Amino acid sequence: MALPKLWTPILAAYAFGTVAILSPALCLAQNSEIQELRSAVEGLQQQLQKALQRIDQLEKEKTATSEKINQIQEEKTTTASRIGQMEKSVQAVQSAPSALNPAIGMVLDANVQNLGKAGGNFDFRSAELGIAASVDPFARMYSFINGTKDGVEVDEAAAITSSLPWNLTAKGGRFLADFGRFPKVHEHELPFVNEPLSVQRMIGGETQADGVEVNYLFPTPFFLRATLGGYNKIGEDNDQVSNSKPRSWSQFTYLGRLNSYFDLTENHSIEVGTSMAYTPVVRLSGAPGGGNRILNGVDLTYRYQPLASAIYQGLTWGSEFYFNSQRFPTDDSANRSQTYGGYSYAELKLNKNWSTGFQVDYAPIVDAPAQRTMSYSPFLTWNLSEFNRLRLQYSYLNNNFRGADKAENGNQVFLQWTTVIGAHTHGFLSR
Amino acid sequence: MKTFLKIKKWQISTVILAVALVFSRPVLAQPIRVVATFPDLADITRQIGKNLVSVESLATGVEDPHGVPMKPSFVPRLNRANLLVVTGLDDEHSWLPALLEVASNPKILPGQPGYIDCSVGIPVLEAPTRLDRAEGDLHPKGNPHYLLDPVHGKIAAQNIAAGLTRNFPQYQADFDKNLKTYLAELDSWIGRWEKVAAPLRGVKYVEYHPEWVYFANRFGLKRVGSIEIKPGIEPTPNHLVQLVQQIKQENAQVLIYGSQNPRIPQQLQGETGIKVLRLYTSAGARSETDTYIKWIDYTVHSLVQAVS
Repeated sequence: MALPKLWTPILAAYAFGTVAILSPALCLAQNSEIQELRSAVEGLQQQLQKALQRIDQLEKEKTATSEKINQIQEEKTTTASRIGQMEKSVQAVQSAPSALNPAIGMVLDANVQNLGKAGGNFDFRSAELGIAASVDPFARMYSFINGTKDGVEVDEAAAITSSLPWNLTAKGGRFLADFGRFPKVHEHELPFVNEPLSVQRMIGGETQADGVEVNYLFPTPFFLRATLGGYNKIGEDNDQVSNSKPRSWSQFTYLGRLNSYFDLTENHSIEVGTSMAYTPVVRLSGAPGGGNRILNGVDLTYRYQPLASAIYQGLTWGSEFYFNSQRFPTDDSANRSQTYGGYSYAELKLNKNWSTGFQVDYAPIVDAPAQRTMSYSPFLTWNLSEFNRLRLQYSYLNNNFRGADKAENGNQVFLQWTTVIGAHTHGFLSR
Repeated sequence: MKTFLKIKKWQISTVILAVALVFSRPVLAQPIRVVATFPDLADITRQIGKNLVSVESLATGVEDPHGVPMKPSFVPRLNRANLLVVTGLDDEHSWLPALLEVASNPKILPGQPGYIDCSVGIPVLEAPTRLDRAEGDLHPKGNPHYLLDPVHGKIAAQNIAAGLTRNFPQYQADFDKNLKTYLAELDSWIGRWEKVAAPLRGVKYVEYHPEWVYFANRFGLKRVGSIEIKPGIEPTPNHLVQLVQQIKQENAQVLIYGSQNPRIPQQLQGETGIKVLRLYTSAGARSETDTYIKWIDYTVHSLVQAVS
């Protein structure tokens, strides 16, 4: 049904009028809601702003606090460092009068022994006073003064350079010459009670010598060290040569030695050395003309030192062989007199305090090469501490000639007690 | 002729440059040779020196620190070293001085610039009030096992950086930068260790040798006794009987030993039920403890695991 053409404009005018009348009211209602919403949003915005400001503030406070903590920690470390340094300074000042004194120590070495047919004896072997200190920035000095039942003597007193260039070190005075391994070690430092008889007979005891020595450390990746020396004589009990009379330079003893060491593995090592002592002219008192003497030595040491338990376990096997060649005008013939000798030992560490070993020694008499003494010596060592040691040793000595000294024949038993007070070290060479 | 001369000049310049490069290369490439006595110090030195240093450790970490074998093979290393880094407080007294005597290297002797003593500035504990060997194998300057406290690792690092700078001031900026980074890393780890080690607070422990006082101070453990009668002196049967009673009475939870023989710790474990832990007092003893940080981390975690 179509509306008449007349009604269409009327209805349109009515609708327009109605909308025109009602629209302001609608607009007013919408405006108030928007207003409310706007104010709510503004409120939220303000709260958010405040919260953000608070977060910023807290972050700043946190940064400041951690900076403060770091600063305090740094101050604490610095203060601790200063306190440590001050304590050291105070200690240095307090100990200044004694700090310049040398390190002093004493070793007492005594034993009770039964020398077979010769009988027993309380043997006061030595009371060794050791003194050592730096001389100045260029040298240090050490001395061992040894008191024995026979008297007191300066066993060693030597100065050693500490800052020579080209890997050189020089030593002068009285000291144990760098010949072999054990001949230059003090008797109380040996792994057995006595110095091997081969060392006593072929070298004349410890290699005590008055003279000079120069050492050179080769710049090699492995340890290689050379020694050259010149002395009045070598050997504390060597009485072939005087230690006091002036003489021509050909009558001095000259020494050369090479010493090297190799790690076979982390725990196994081997050390080798070869030494030669040459005296171009030897004049025996009352004899016409002069002879000469060459003493050669080779030493070999194998060590098993398990790093993780080196203070509890270990094995050392050491051997030295000597060859002496000499010709003196007193000899019946013009031929050279040659003698061979040496010793070999093994020592097993049982635990931190106990060790045991066995030594075999072949000792010829230098002036009578056909005569020799063989000895066999098991030993047991108890280290009560690093500075207190007891050692029990049995020795059987067998001579291939008649008339041997009673004290160098048959069965022998020793109980040795060695104690140390104060500072005591014989350094690298007697390790 | 001119062209020829020009070429010749060019050639000469090239040759000079090449020669200069050849001769300058080894100088630039040559790292500072450092010998450290123990692997932890070697690691800290590497962290600070980075590619400027080449560091070797004499000990491997498994040794008793006071009884490192005096190997002659250490001598060439000491001879070639530009610097020597030591724990100090006489920790190396039984083996290092004799090696230095034959090393023919005056630069690294005590008191010289090349001798870096990491103990400078350490707040030392257990400094003896009575110096007498009746008290055992004493350390006259105090307990030298301070690196077990990681905060003291920072002091050691500072000493190493100062030593490197003292000898090679041209690299100061690098050393300072690396030190700062390392200290920050250590700080971060220390924070973590303090949290992780919370269960250790108040834990009672027994040690073989007096080595753990610095660690105990840092993390709050309490020492009940030691297997050794006095430092370095092995126990008597009577002492062990007393120690067993002490462990039971005081309810000690863990027995720590390192390079020592495990026989006595195991015996005490059998008699008291105490947990026994082998922890070395240096880095490097185990593959997982090859750096200072890894070593402390391993130590902290092992102890926490043992008591939890």
